[in-house]
Amino acid sequence: MSAAGLIARHEWRRLAAQPFAWTLAAIVLALMAWQFLLAVQGFLDLAPQLAARRDAPGVTDLVAIPLLRSFANLLLLLVPLVTMRSLAGERRAATLPLLLASGVGDARIVLGKYCGALGFVLVLVALVALMPLALGLGTALDYGKLLAAVLGIALFAAALTAIGILCSAWAGQPALAAAAALALGALLLIVDAGARLQGVTNAGINYLALPTHLEPFLRGIVASVDIVYFLLLTALALLLAVQRLDVLRARPH
Amino acid sequence: MSPPILELVRVSRQFAGRTVVQALDLAVARGEVLGLLGVNGAGKTTAMRMMAGALAPDAGHVRLGGRDLAQHPQLARRQVGYLPETPPLHAELTTVEYLRFCARLHGVARGAVTAAVERAIERCQLGEVRGRVIGVLSKGWRQRIGIAQAIVHAPDLIVLDEPASGLDPVQALGLRALVRELGRAHAVVLSTHLLPDVAACCDRVAILHQGRLRHTGPTAVGGGTHLRLGTRAPLTAQTLTSLTPVATAAPLDVLHWRVGLRPGSDAADLAAALVGHGVAVTELRADEPPLEAIFIAIASGEALAA
Repeated sequence: MSAAGLIARHEWRRLAAQPFAWTLAAIVLALMAWQFLLAVQGFLDLAPQLAARRDAPGVTDLVAIPLLRSFANLLLLLVPLVTMRSLAGERRAATLPLLLASGVGDARIVLGKYCGALGFVLVLVALVALMPLALGLGTALDYGKLLAAVLGIALFAAALTAIGILCSAWAGQPALAAAAALALGALLLIVDAGARLQGVTNAGINYLALPTHLEPFLRGIVASVDIVYFLLLTALALLLAVQRLDVLRARPH
Repeated sequence: MSPPILELVRVSRQFAGRTVVQALDLAVARGEVLGLLGVNGAGKTTAMRMMAGALAPDAGHVRLGGRDLAQHPQLARRQVGYLPETPPLHAELTTVEYLRFCARLHGVARGAVTAAVERAIERCQLGEVRGRVIGVLSKGWRQRIGIAQAIVHAPDLIVLDEPASGLDPVQALGLRALVRELGRAHAVVLSTHLLPDVAACCDRVAILHQGRLRHTGPTAVGGGTHLRLGTRAPLTAQTLTSLTPVATAAPLDVLHWRVGLRPGSDAADLAAALVGHGVAVTELRADEPPLEAIFIAIASGEALAA
């Protein structure tokens, strides 16, 4: 197994040994399950009226996509809580020298930390995605649209996790890392809000915003430009995290 | 002596414009335990971090087995075991889980991990806490787990920064025995404030002060060529130098002398000569400057006589 894989697996083991991760997962899943049940009940209440319309939206549009959109908003808060300890926690507990002196290399350490955190986040994404997918047992779902939305959420989560790792590498305290990641995620969420109010929807500032690239996925559109955006954002954040680790290596404490 | 495992050649390091380690030259061979001494802020921890590959020097070279650590950082993975000042423990894991990770992190093959971990547990006497979560253990146990992670992959070089910190006297004695045992098959560098630990464990001592190497030499003192002699009646220098084993004799007071021996002579020869000359001896002991005196002289900034 590569060193990055070993560190990623170790991150998993450490997360599984902490009540914090289990509590976080339980809260998120309970919250999403509650929203899901409310959405299903709302759909059932509307079903007679929808049946009367020819091009009425289906359960995918009225239950699954809103649920995933809501989950995307929750990820902005959830991911920083998952990533905050990955490097900042190591620094606070003075355990970073174990990795730094292991000869593994900064890039592999960051990649291992990233994969460990992303694995946990993606399990939550999969569990939340299972909720609307379960409706397929009793009704017809637009699987293409649903899978596109799940792919978008996964890429969105991957970028947020990379930002979280970057903030965890920069901050000396986990709480500060979480706050910074939340602030950075929120900034990327609303960076083009002013431009949109002015009617600008196709400028450079729009390209920087997360919703510009997440929304097409939620509408069932998988475009390479959006995939590239999330991948670039992820790569940039991880590269900066590697650089930061290199700086930390040169510091006395 | 075998070629050095670790070589520091003119190694320097600055932090924020302040020189913490300056032009440090050191070498440690397999089968040798080097004690690194110095007051707080002398540069010991920085020097040890560079030896362990956790910090790159600004100038000079750190070589492991003749190869530059800066150019081959992966060497540290298998060949160096490092215990920092604060043991880098993952508190939420059990002792065995943590040591298994450390073994794999340092490149121990999957099939050899169990044996390596068991060996480290046995050497550090961790059997009692092997299945316990590290976070609930006492400082002494945690320190020993820290030492175990530094040796689990059987590295060539073991760097221990203040390993006796937090140990009770019985555990400290066990640590001395462990370090001596490690020193038989590995090169060991040990920093401590406890001079008795250095005297008990180390073959050589290096004293750092203000980032510079101020003294290096064997730990064992007293086997040298100068003795302190006390007599019941006053003597003259001529009387003493007329004795075969005596090369020089300098009075300390009326009844005490600092006697330099001729090559090949020892304290027993001098004692026999004195008795044969009818001199009543009240004191005869080594008069080399002890480690503590050397350390204090350096720490207080005095120039040490060679």
